[in-house]
Amino acid sequence: MTGRRLHPFTLLAIAGALPALAWILPAPAGGMWTAAVALLLTLTPGWRPGLVVFRTALLTAAPFWVFLRLLHDVPTTIAIGLRITTMVASFVWLAATLAPDRLVEATVARGWSVTAAYLFAATITAVPTLRDRARRIVEAQRCRGLSPRGSLGNRLRALRALALPLVLSALHDVDERALALETRGMVSGARRTPLAPPPDSAVERAARWALLAACVAALIWRFK
Amino acid sequence: MKSLTLERVSFWYPATEAPALRDVSLEVVQGEVVALVGAVGAGASTVLLAAGDLAPRLTGGRIVGTVSRRDRSAIVLPTPWTQVSGMAFTVWDEVAFGPANLGWPTHEIARQVDRAMAHLELGPLATRDPATLSGGELQRVIIAATLAMDSGLVLFDEPAAELDAEGASALWRLIRALAKGGKAILLATSALDALPDVADRVVWLEDGAVRAVGTPDLLADVAACDAGLGTSVATVWGASGLPGPYPLTVAHAVRQWR
Repeated sequence: MTGRRLHPFTLLAIAGALPALAWILPAPAGGMWTAAVALLLTLTPGWRPGLVVFRTALLTAAPFWVFLRLLHDVPTTIAIGLRITTMVASFVWLAATLAPDRLVEATVARGWSVTAAYLFAATITAVPTLRDRARRIVEAQRCRGLSPRGSLGNRLRALRALALPLVLSALHDVDERALALETRGMVSGARRTPLAPPPDSAVERAARWALLAACVAALIWRFK
Repeated sequence: MKSLTLERVSFWYPATEAPALRDVSLEVVQGEVVALVGAVGAGASTVLLAAGDLAPRLTGGRIVGTVSRRDRSAIVLPTPWTQVSGMAFTVWDEVAFGPANLGWPTHEIARQVDRAMAHLELGPLATRDPATLSGGELQRVIIAATLAMDSGLVLFDEPAAELDAEGASALWRLIRALAKGGKAILLATSALDALPDVADRVVWLEDGAVRAVGTPDLLADVAACDAGLGTSVATVWGASGLPGPYPLTVAHAVRQWR
């Protein structure tokens, strides 16, 4: 789990720098390099989990390629598609490797507000949470005889039977979670005690500055 | 010493005309367990939200009347999975989430977390991921997380809903022990049979208003049994046509029978 050993800020820096470089560097070569790096990163969580992350990134990026091809010619599709693939792969890799508790600990240790840190971490964890909930709802609806396969009409009916409970239950959970977090001391302006702030080595700090410098340098080079 | 006082509290949820609470007055003193009972929609959960300063601050709506708290409050909701922070990968860290938010020093956090986990017998689960726990285990973790914050006023909303019989018995013993230790407990529950051993006072809510307040003997009242709020023994006694007063528990029934 290479990514999990890195400081959360380093993970964020990598996941931010790659899409930035993808859009700054000239297409298609720039996008090709950044997409390759981002897709390679998705394999770093290990062989089996890495393949799952890699596949998720590809499956998420695929519809964008289809829509781009419908709207644009081949060179533009490749140029934008590679950039979007970089963005998607970077985010999927980040979601797979960034432990929300470590992020909160790191940000709190830096003096950020715990609520801001929570908001950011909750965004990262929202996707897998909603996916698990959607899976449970689909299973429940199947038990009640609703099939998500077959004709377009069938699929639309199944989609409605999935979307409505998904959204309503998510809203209900948000209400209860807000109450629960509030009573567990997570209020605006709270000064949380970091329990185990992740170590931040000089090498990682230097690497983050280097990534920032690379983005700035690329920007200057493009506008020169 | 009074830990919580509600004086003529009425509350309306957003976009509703009928009040969820109507002129509710009650108090809870340190060391006391007060149980709220009532039919679904009677307002027990809403009383807890108002008592915990969550309604209307977080729920929205409008409140009239006075709510006074002497102590910091903590609430345990019936659905443990919505109370998990989502920021912890071990049970120990989950329990420490609240104390850490209070900004306590780490040694104090560790002391309170270890104490709360020992209370709930969670030691063997300390390193488990909360996402892998059963509903009952998770509810115990959330209760421990609440206790670790050392709040003077603890609000329980159907805390035994996810627990098996053994877990529920342990919970009721814990609630009594907390009260003995000086906590003020306000409890909304439909586990009426547990209340004779747990509650010092029972508040019967009906349509958002207080219908009656008394000792747990209230749960053997004919009117309470008719409203579905009697203990099992009292209800069976009444349904079988035996003469009153209805016994509250099996022990009372045996004594009365002899």
